[in-house]
This record gives sequence, C-alpha cells and structure tokens, in this order.
Amino acid sequence: MKAGWKLAGLIVIGAGLGVVSAVAMLNQGMKIGREEVDGWVGSHVSGDRTADPYSRALVARAGLLALTQAETLYFNRTTDETGKPLRAACTYQLDGGPQPARWWSVTIYAADNYLPINGDDAQSADATRVAQTAKPEDEGRWIVRVSPQKGDAVHWISSKNSGNFALTIRLYNPYDHARKDFKSIALPRIKTVSCPRTPA
Amino acid sequence: MNALSKSLLIVLVTAVVVHLAVILSTPNLLMAVAFKRLSADGQKVNEMVHSPRTSETSRTIVRLSPDLAYSSCAFDLSKGPVRVTAAKASDYMSVSVYAANSDNIFAVNDHQAPNGVDLVIVGKGQAAPSGAALVVQSPTQRGIVLERRLAPSAETFAAADLARKRDVCAPL
Repeated sequence: MKAGWKLAGLIVIGAGLGVVSAVAMLNQGMKIGREEVDGWVGSHVSGDRTADPYSRALVARAGLLALTQAETLYFNRTTDETGKPLRAACTYQLDGGPQPARWWSVTIYAADNYLPINGDDAQSADATRVAQTAKPEDEGRWIVRVSPQKGDAVHWISSKNSGNFALTIRLYNPYDHARKDFKSIALPRIKTVSCPRTPA
Repeated sequence: MNALSKSLLIVLVTAVVVHLAVILSTPNLLMAVAFKRLSADGQKVNEMVHSPRTSETSRTIVRLSPDLAYSSCAFDLSKGPVRVTAAKASDYMSVSVYAANSDNIFAVNDHQAPNGVDLVIVGKGQAAPSGAALVVQSPTQRGIVLERRLAPSAETFAAADLARKRDVCAPL
C-alpha cells in the first residue's frame, strides 16, 4: 500500500515537471529557430507541414492561423535599442524606410497577444497611411511614434494600457531576397525618446 | 538499481511523457478552441463568417491585424467536400486553409488568383469532384479557412466588406 502511494506521488511530481517544462517552453521558447535582426525577431520556421512539434506548438500559441513565409514574414520585438523591455509609459520612435514587400504594417500587442484596450483606436501604422503623408524629400523614410499620448506625431501607435508590450511588423508578399536573407531587410529602427524613471 | 535512482527514473520518464504530450497536443487544442469560437460553438460550420473590423475588443484569435478584414469558415468534411470562393480584390487578398493540427496546408493570394478564388477542400479518401479547378487535400476532417483582405481604413474596410459579401463556404 505504501509503495503504491509512493509511486503515485512520483508520477504526480513527474507529471507536474512535464507540464511546467512544456509551458515554460511555450512561454520562453519563442527564441528557438528564430533569427534576430536589430532587435526584431523573425522565424525561419512557420506553421506549415514541415514544422517540427515544438515550432508547431510555438506558432500555434503565439500566431495561430498565421501565414507561411511565402505569403508573409512576421518580425516581433519586445525590447528597445538597449535591450530593455518596451514599456507603456515610455515614448519611442520608429524610423523606417521602404520595406521589401508588397505591403507592410507595424502593430502593437499587449503581453496577452491581443491589442491593448485604451480607446485610442491607434494600434498600427501601415504602408498605405505612411504613403498618404509622404513627401518627395522623405525619400521613402517614415517615422512612427509609439507612446501613451499622441502629441504632435503624424503617425502614432498608442501604447496606453499596454504594459510591457510587443511590436510586430508584417511584410506581406515579401520579396525573394528578404525571405531568403532576413539580414538583408532594413527593418525600422527603434529609439527611446523618453522614459519615466518609475515603471508605470 | 537502488530505491533513489528508481524513484528519479519514474519522475523523469513521467515528466518526459507528459512534456511531449502537452507539446504535441497544444496545436490541436488551440485549433479546437479557435474552431469553436469561429463557428459560434458549432452553429456556423461550413459557413463563411465575416468578422467586423478588428478592434481592441476583438478576442477570437490572438494577434489579429487591425488593418485586415477577416472572414473565416470552420469546415467539417465528414459529409463530403466543401467549396470555398472569394471574390476578386483590387488590393491584397488571400485565402488560406489550416488543418486541425494548425498547419497552414494551402494559401493563395489575389496575384495568383486575379479573378478571385474558387477551390474545393476534400478530406482523406474523398474523391476530388470533376471540374473543380483548385483542389486542396486536407489531412484532417476539420479545419479553418481564413480570408484576409487589405483594409487599413474605414473606407477600405467598407469596400472589402462589400466585395466579400457573396463569398461562399459550403458543402458541395
């Protein structure tokens, strides 16, 4: 009888470890199979038939129903230019140029992978809106402010109520070179403009 | 083998088995949840559902783009193949098919299908209907079709919403 209880206890401990390690893998394993380009993390593995079980589980968790690389490249960033987490209270500037794709967008997501709830209706910037305000002298360069207040920004993504957030850039119908070599993509640069000392 | 190493072995083997079970079942579980949500708890299966413009309160799927108009169809091939159509678009549009294990088994965009999309999804062992131009073989009976149309503004969303009105997802 005692041996039975002991066995049951060991199995419970083992099962617990199995669940904890799997969940940790799904939460922290976002770096596996991934390539970083200036703080933006892209994946060469995406949810197609060739994916291994870990990649498939990771893609399912953070990008269920995402498109494969032939159709779209996704790059995600959760840190600023110095490696610190992106924070709702800070003001950042994204400085970008033409992207090697038919259409692109940058979108903010809160830590729960959904859009932050703040009533600002400013969750993204995209190629069409940037083109509308482009001037010839910009030569395709564009600037987007990511901050809790719009201020005098032309293109603005509201970080209000987003906690420690993530930015995702989508490149729809990426050009061949971009798909083959992430390093060839000039993704937008991020700059911290200001940041209150106490975490909000 | 002493008692301690035997105990450790039991813990280790259980941990590995459970770990793999969780990893392997995660995509299917998450797809089952998505299937349930997109089909309104199973009431709208094999039916094209047009989502309203993505807003901060959208919670059906993680990481939706607010710049795209999404339509979806939770399909079930148990009673036979399902036909999916999507009207042609003046800007980016794509139709993609996902199996129950979350694999993106097929995708086509407006450049590849300038006159719109018309495809038939068939299950394992089901014969492809004669005359179908585009046949997608699904390894699983259930799955999800997702249609994306570029719609970064209220005006472009209204146009996409009009274009997609007659898009079909229905048993053959």
